[in-house]
Amino acid sequence: MAQQLLNAIFIGSIYALFAVGYTLVFGVLDVLNLAHSAVFMLGAVIAYSLVALHGAPFWLAVILAVLACGLLGLVIEYVALRPLRRRQAPPISALISTIGLALIFVALVEQATSGSLFSWLWQDGANSVRFPSGTVPNPTLHLAGLTIEGTKLGILVTTIILMLVLGSVIRFTQVGRALRAVAENRKAATLLGIDVDRIFASTLFISSALGGLAGILFGIAISDISPYIGRDQVELKGLAVIVLGGMGSIPGAVTGGYLLGLIEVLAFVRFGSNIAAGVAFAALFVMLIVRPQGLFGTRLRERL
Amino acid sequence: MRNVARGTAIALGVVLAACGGGSSPGSSATTNSYQGKTIQFGAILSLTGAGGVYGPSSKKGMDLAVETINKAGGVNGAKLALTTDDDASDKAQSAQVAQQLIQGGQLMALLGPTLSNSAVAVHPLAESFKIPILAVSTTGIHIVPDCNYPNATPCRFVFRDSLGEQTAIPINIMVYAAKAHPKTGVLMVANDDKFSSDGGKIVAATVAQYGITLLDTVEFSKTTADFATPVTRAVQKHPDVIFITSLGGIPAKIMIEARKQGFTGQFLGGNGFNTAVVSRQAGDSGKGAESGSAWYLNNTFASNADFVKAYRAKYGSDPDQFAAQGYAGILILADAAKRANLTFTDLAGDRTRLKDAMETVNINTPLGRFQFTSAHDVKQTVWVIAMDGNGGFTLVQSVNAS
Amino acid sequence: MDFFIQLLTDPIGFYNSHELLVAQMGINAILAISIFVTFYSGQLTLANAGFMAIGAYTTVLLSLYPRWPLPLDMLLGSLLAGGAGVLVGLPVLRLRGVFLAIATIGFVEALLLGVILNVPITGEGQGLKNPTADPLGGIVPILVSIPVLTYLVWRLTRTRLGQAWAAIREDELAASSNGINVPLYKMIAFVIGAILAGYAGALETHINFFVDPTEYGISRTIQILTFAVVGGTSNVLGPIVGAVFLTALPEILRFVRDYRDVINGVILILVIIFRPQGIVGRGGLALIRPRWLHRRGRVRGSPASAL
Repeated sequence: MAQQLLNAIFIGSIYALFAVGYTLVFGVLDVLNLAHSAVFMLGAVIAYSLVALHGAPFWLAVILAVLACGLLGLVIEYVALRPLRRRQAPPISALISTIGLALIFVALVEQATSGSLFSWLWQDGANSVRFPSGTVPNPTLHLAGLTIEGTKLGILVTTIILMLVLGSVIRFTQVGRALRAVAENRKAATLLGIDVDRIFASTLFISSALGGLAGILFGIAISDISPYIGRDQVELKGLAVIVLGGMGSIPGAVTGGYLLGLIEVLAFVRFGSNIAAGVAFAALFVMLIVRPQGLFGTRLRERL
Repeated sequence: MRNVARGTAIALGVVLAACGGGSSPGSSATTNSYQGKTIQFGAILSLTGAGGVYGPSSKKGMDLAVETINKAGGVNGAKLALTTDDDASDKAQSAQVAQQLIQGGQLMALLGPTLSNSAVAVHPLAESFKIPILAVSTTGIHIVPDCNYPNATPCRFVFRDSLGEQTAIPINIMVYAAKAHPKTGVLMVANDDKFSSDGGKIVAATVAQYGITLLDTVEFSKTTADFATPVTRAVQKHPDVIFITSLGGIPAKIMIEARKQGFTGQFLGGNGFNTAVVSRQAGDSGKGAESGSAWYLNNTFASNADFVKAYRAKYGSDPDQFAAQGYAGILILADAAKRANLTFTDLAGDRTRLKDAMETVNINTPLGRFQFTSAHDVKQTVWVIAMDGNGGFTLVQSVNAS
Repeated sequence: MDFFIQLLTDPIGFYNSHELLVAQMGINAILAISIFVTFYSGQLTLANAGFMAIGAYTTVLLSLYPRWPLPLDMLLGSLLAGGAGVLVGLPVLRLRGVFLAIATIGFVEALLLGVILNVPITGEGQGLKNPTADPLGGIVPILVSIPVLTYLVWRLTRTRLGQAWAAIREDELAASSNGINVPLYKMIAFVIGAILAGYAGALETHINFFVDPTEYGISRTIQILTFAVVGGTSNVLGPIVGAVFLTALPEILRFVRDYRDVINGVILILVIIFRPQGIVGRGGLALIRPRWLHRRGRVRGSPASAL
């Protein structure tokens, strides 16, 4: 059981990291960025590509991949979001256009086989690969009958550090203050001279960088990288996490992530894997009805 | 008067028909000329998607067979032509592709689809259109002869050359039990995948007769990425054997995770173990994992050695079981076509003639000597193999068909 | 291009070898109509795939076990889907916008993962075989249903009910202060959408030999959404056009078949950004402008303005 709890913590870290990016964009920008799961996948794919196809050392691959994902965030902003903001389209449109972008990203990777247009990035088409063994040192500790993998421990530590850093940035820096202002009231922020477009771009950059990093960590810990990891593993679960934790709340996303990890593992131990996911969505459903702002959400939205 | 004329016409017809059908079975002399004709086959394969690991192999094997046969003069002078379409591992698309192939052309027979899941949709379709279909990689239950399960009427037009799990798994367990006498096991199965689920049912039904108790059945979704949780459940029971009936990347992941968590027992698997890709993915963790296979790379008899040599020459890599079964599939269809006395004018009749001829196939293939059972299922030697930890396999034992 | 060549030169042959494709187009058209109804009342609900599943599974189960006649099974399947619509709608329709969308997604996933995949009678992960499938004959009810349903829904938008929906879509608060019973009308739209989706599900199982949980996931719903968005939601023809076009697209684009998902995504983005009213929209550059549909009682604005 203790081993299972460890499993829960590790998978919860990944969910948390992913959800934070999701919730950041929703909280600040009022947009549900459904391309986030595609960026998650691309983070893993780009890092894998740099290591396996181009021989880069892992630490460099991670940095470059995270930056690349940040840039992808800008792509999302410029291609899918800004044109809609210009004509003051309602939020649903952003939802749909990010869905479209996600479809494109996944399909492009899916079709990238050796000899195709994108074979410099990915050659395995729809298949699943792992980082070459030895990419990341992964000592396995055996303590008190438990198996603790180095990589999973590393993920836990990374997640905690990142959350603390992000929290400080939002609380104490000017960028963070601007973010909070825009989240609070976009029109007022404009009046205060905040360049909302730049805030959008920055938020999407940070959020996508985080999402990409979550994807890389996932690829390392789970040894599974394919065009579908975003869609199958985190897309809907990420949704459940931010609803449970509160859309727009970062502590909520973190708590929700670990909570979901826990629910999944406990339900699996007791019942089997499908019930676990079903329970998560039932919880989402109930939460939306009973307390739509989630556990930590404090923003009262007029749409309620 | 009219009656006499009619009677004469009938008698004349009977005589002509008797002359026309006068070739004895097994002889290559047919009354109908095959010279210059084309025998068309269609293959529905999963070239992309979840089954995309297997489809391309089947295609390579089939293409090689067509090329080899045509180069050697074809079937009594008729050329073979093969059209392959991708079903993207999607059931609905598989059915659509099948329908288009059947109704759009002059196909004598079909091959495929790759996945047992898709076969559920495609085989009944072929049966209802009365076109022979030869499955070359589906090994689940209720493929032959009951393609319309739970309807028990046998499907006359459905065949397979892919050794079923129903035969392979029990033989694998029998061979291992005879040498190691395991007492306990845990079954790991993907319950949203027909192939895996069928395999699981077979394992559960077989273990008792070899003295193995199943301590637990761990079910998971085939889209699971993190196997730590299901594997923990299995490993914590400390079984002698872990049975893995999944396909794709799952067996390797389970084996790696289990070794990480300290499991030192035996892995026994199904058809999902039988490709070099899986052996390579599993690496050291998979060393010694055993399964019953329809084919073994290093078999030295001529029909396999020639196949392997030609495959390596054409593709620059080793074939796998799926390529071998695809290759054998074309050999089977070609042999049946040779003996079926096709008219090339009556498509519906030809399809039935081909089907009848298929039932009496008895040829040498890379899989060994091959015949169909009366249920259109596989009758061949089973090769029990073990992963060698290096991306390959060694032969543990061969068990002849009963 | 041989798709079109065959279509134009040998329509009968085309139909014969593409029946399953035409049937699928028909089913997608009905699904598109089901999402149109809820769109028309201003709600973005993404639960249609779930209602489809209910319709499909009910139909097959009833024909497998009590072996009731097929039309009865389909009727019950559609009604059960409608019933589920009521149950789901009650708590959920208070929400709006993105929250409604997410709640409906949650319902579908909970249904699939929690219920269907774990109850043995549904065949769990592998679904069920459908003994009464009739791939060729099954196309007839589909082709018959489409004009009937299109007409019915179109008539519906012309009634007071339809006008109430339009009013709710424009401004829910104003509609409510004008005496319109907003929750009731929203529920009616939702339930009608559910029944139609259930009916489509039942029809689909009739042409397939199986019913399988993977058919009804979130991708299916997104696909239906795409039909509506690309086709245009200002009138009932739009989603139908979108459905037919997008279902046929992989066939037309066989030569770039591999990239069709990319093309789907690109089309979606282009439409939503540059032409939110879709193919059949009102507005200056509408490709098809069925004026006759708007002859009487012009409704101010359209669902497209909600995009």
